[in-house]
Amino acid sequence: MTHFTRGRLARLGLVGVAAASLLLAGCSTVGSTSDAGSSDAADDGTFTVGFAVGGQPDADWQDLQGDVAKGLADQRGWDFVELSNDNSEATATKNADIFIQKGVDMVMMFNGQPSANPVIAKKYADAGIPVVTFDIAQPGWYFVGVDNAAAGTDGGTALGELAKEKWDCKVDLVIEAEGTAAGQINTWRTGNAADAIGTVCPDIPEENYVKYEADGNLTTSLANAPGVFAAHPDAKNILVVGLNDQAVVGALQAATQLGRDGSIMGWGQDGGLITGPNVDPNLVGSVMYFLEGYPASAFEIADEIAAGNPPAVKDTGDDAAASVKPCAVTAAEAAAIPDINERVKELASAPKGTSEYDLYCKS
Amino acid sequence: MTTTATPATTLFDDPVLPAHRRILNSFRGPVGSITATLVVTLLVGLIWVGPSFFSPSNIQIVGVSVAIPLIVGVMASFALLAGVVDLSIGSMVGFGAVIFNQLVAAGLNAWLVALITVVVGVVVGLTNAFVIVRFGAEPLAVTLGMLTLLRGLSQVIVVNAPPSTLIEPLYNVTQGAIAGFPTLLLIGIGVTLIAAGIVSKTRIGRKVQAVGGDDRAAARAGISVSKVRVIALVASSVGAAVGGILYVGQLGSASNVLGTGLEFQIYAALMIGGYSITRGGVGNPIGGLLGLLVVAGITNILNVTFTDPNYLDLITAAILLAAVLVDRFRGGDSFE
Amino acid sequence: MTTSLITPADPAAPRSPGGKTRRPDSRGLPVSARDALSIAGVWVALIVATTIVRPDFLSTQSLLAITFTMSITGILAVSQAIIVISGGLLDLSLPVSLIVSAWATVTVLNNGLPTWVAIPVGILTGMAWGALNGIIVVFGKLNPIIVTLATGFGGLAVMLIFFKSAQIPAQSDLRLYGLGRFLGLPNIFWPMVMVIVLGGLAFAYTRWGRRLIAVGGNASAAKARGINLRRMRLGSFIGAGAVAGLAGVMFSAVTPSFTPAAGASFQLIVIGAVILAGISLSGGKGNLLVLLLSIGFFATIPTSIAFFGLAPAWALVFQGALLIIAVGIDGYRLKRTAR
Repeated sequence: MTHFTRGRLARLGLVGVAAASLLLAGCSTVGSTSDAGSSDAADDGTFTVGFAVGGQPDADWQDLQGDVAKGLADQRGWDFVELSNDNSEATATKNADIFIQKGVDMVMMFNGQPSANPVIAKKYADAGIPVVTFDIAQPGWYFVGVDNAAAGTDGGTALGELAKEKWDCKVDLVIEAEGTAAGQINTWRTGNAADAIGTVCPDIPEENYVKYEADGNLTTSLANAPGVFAAHPDAKNILVVGLNDQAVVGALQAATQLGRDGSIMGWGQDGGLITGPNVDPNLVGSVMYFLEGYPASAFEIADEIAAGNPPAVKDTGDDAAASVKPCAVTAAEAAAIPDINERVKELASAPKGTSEYDLYCKS
Repeated sequence: MTTTATPATTLFDDPVLPAHRRILNSFRGPVGSITATLVVTLLVGLIWVGPSFFSPSNIQIVGVSVAIPLIVGVMASFALLAGVVDLSIGSMVGFGAVIFNQLVAAGLNAWLVALITVVVGVVVGLTNAFVIVRFGAEPLAVTLGMLTLLRGLSQVIVVNAPPSTLIEPLYNVTQGAIAGFPTLLLIGIGVTLIAAGIVSKTRIGRKVQAVGGDDRAAARAGISVSKVRVIALVASSVGAAVGGILYVGQLGSASNVLGTGLEFQIYAALMIGGYSITRGGVGNPIGGLLGLLVVAGITNILNVTFTDPNYLDLITAAILLAAVLVDRFRGGDSFE
Repeated sequence: MTTSLITPADPAAPRSPGGKTRRPDSRGLPVSARDALSIAGVWVALIVATTIVRPDFLSTQSLLAITFTMSITGILAVSQAIIVISGGLLDLSLPVSLIVSAWATVTVLNNGLPTWVAIPVGILTGMAWGALNGIIVVFGKLNPIIVTLATGFGGLAVMLIFFKSAQIPAQSDLRLYGLGRFLGLPNIFWPMVMVIVLGGLAFAYTRWGRRLIAVGGNASAAKARGINLRRMRLGSFIGAGAVAGLAGVMFSAVTPSFTPAAGASFQLIVIGAVILAGISLSGGKGNLLVLLLSIGFFATIPTSIAFFGLAPAWALVFQGALLIIAVGIDGYRLKRTAR
């Protein structure tokens, strides 16, 4: 008896689908004739920037990049549209279609799941839209970012020097809090930092270097790190490097919980947790890139594109369109730097062309 | 469950009603209210976005993004219908994609790798089915375990950036269009119609419904409950594996987070479309299609108006609650 | 509704004779004792296996790592167990309760108020969230799995709209508490033990506790005995919310900076630990001491993985596989006793 019911329901559902498709088809003709499909903004002559934030759940600077970019676009009287890549390659790919449909004049994005970048690049290339990518290089896209390789080396060198000074390079354990999903960036930041420690203190044996997955966020890092400390119970002098401040602080917190914080030093990357009143006492320094300020560099490229003479595409970390200078700071130096929200405000009111490096890292 | 017939549905079985009454009555069912919701969604889109909401390029965007969840969801709906929810589909999509992507990148023939991926799907489905059917374990718990296990395996396999594998023909199918309509969505609708036909017209479809509605009554009627559930769970897993392959075609790669949370998005849409994850025997693939279209439509409206995407989940949650509430007022499931 | 599907939803549904509903009364104790023994057995096996590979596994360091991992997961598992035992099926919005309470706690502290204000506010926030779920379930007469799926989605979205990240003041008493140790174990471990003991006692010896079990076991029979179902259901959600609120307070004490999505990683582990403990999703059955063992076992896996030198992702693989095996065995046992 139920099957008959389902059958009828199905048929009526089909009627519904048919009606909806008709409606769609009808309107789609309307849409294509009035050319409303390929957007308004492109036609009215105003320069339009499409901005895709990373949307990774544990990184608050990603949304702030969007806020900063919006401010810069407003300064110039440009149209600005923002989407979130939602930390998903499927969404990032769909966002490309939406920007192309919108008819934006250029795109800026951070894509934390860059595996779909070749497909996305193909779409933008076909549509003839220039792209600025933050931190993750893709052939054909303007690369704006920190020289990640240098940032890793800078952080590792600074931490190594501290270990040399305080412990005479007697280091029992070097922990690398990785975020392998970031791919090459992880190798540069985390791996180079570890290598740099080895350069400063060449006598640390190979087996004292330990890697674990921190996934670039504090909660995961704090969940996975306790086992690492427990598995190396005899290590006294411990150094921690990692993909970002969150990963490093997760390890430092785990050390505190296990009573292993007597002689531990961490050096972060990205400066996410080195400013403000609540800095972890064992986070002795970080490399700041002022991530939220990347859009300032991207908009210098945008200015040239809007003026009709796009600069040559420089698409690698070694040969970047705009290289954000990494700024290695100790915790003491960082205390003088305002926190992220304050910096965003100051950047918005600074004269055009000012970078945060100029504002906060002149020393 | 003593009977799945509700007051609303018994009306349709009355053969003396004239045709227009039957049509009217049927729109009191889940398919009716979801059709109404879809129409409202489309109208909101038309008013807020303008005619460009129905432009070919926008239909292409919606079609490309909804097609794979549709195929995965329709296949998973067989498990729901048979009364065994399969939570592992999101991880299976990811795991299938990872296997396909890694092996293609390793230089194997794409067809062979696709076959391997589908076989892996069958194995996963059989494993789920073995524990659920043979040992009588809770489907929710078993497939939750499988969800965790497969996600872990994907992370073990893909440690750094995954390789890129742009397979032109597959890319063209998953991103392309035929006569101005998204190819993959046409395939998805085709799969949906076939599934709807199977559910309402064939013996196996009726068996699946009977097993999901009341398994003991079904067993008394001589239906092999175990066999039906095994088939349904394997279908669900294979659908997810195929979804994974299609994602690799669409995205040219597969990271270890691909498909995370997809199961909840799909089941929310299916429940909006009249399925239940806690009770078998209800729902129709057409309703599932409409449910997915409603969510995809809202997503698209928010996307093309560049509205904060967080509102999407909020709206989806509200519609989901409203849908199950309406279903209950109609005489469906009520809790206590 | 018979075997596999979780539907105590229909009180009119006939129950299989000698099946689940009668079990807590007639064989509750032996079953939970057997559950306890089997979980303790595999736990010991895991410890022995790890010790064979790495003799230094048996150390205070491992103990600290495991007890720390147990703490927040454990409190959350008790919250989930209250829902499951009382027949509320599952609370899928637990990550939201955790983070929203932690956020409320931290916000109070950041406004300069003392810890003794912040803790109750955190717990009350958890209760309020539980009440929201409970009200929708009770007055909408809707299935809790679906309701909490929706509120979990929606709640996370609302949090993401309202805050990006939250930091606890480094000098607050709560933060210092979170960094300390008592009797050699992390401070936050002890509230977990307390919650388990108090919860276990409450289930066994208070009228409310027994009624919750009765409602979970067979709602219609409980109703026939004059128990107000609505009040019990609402009460179970609010009570579970309070426990989740406490978990949020403890989470904020050990996590110096967190984002709205930070609760997601607890979801699967908590549900897994509850199910492994033999707390059946069909309700009316469960023992919190077995739950403690189950949490301990789950928490040992990542530490063992680190000792084996494997990538942390393997922990997910093992936890998933163990969950499948455990519910398989549990289902098989139920099937045999039902015969």
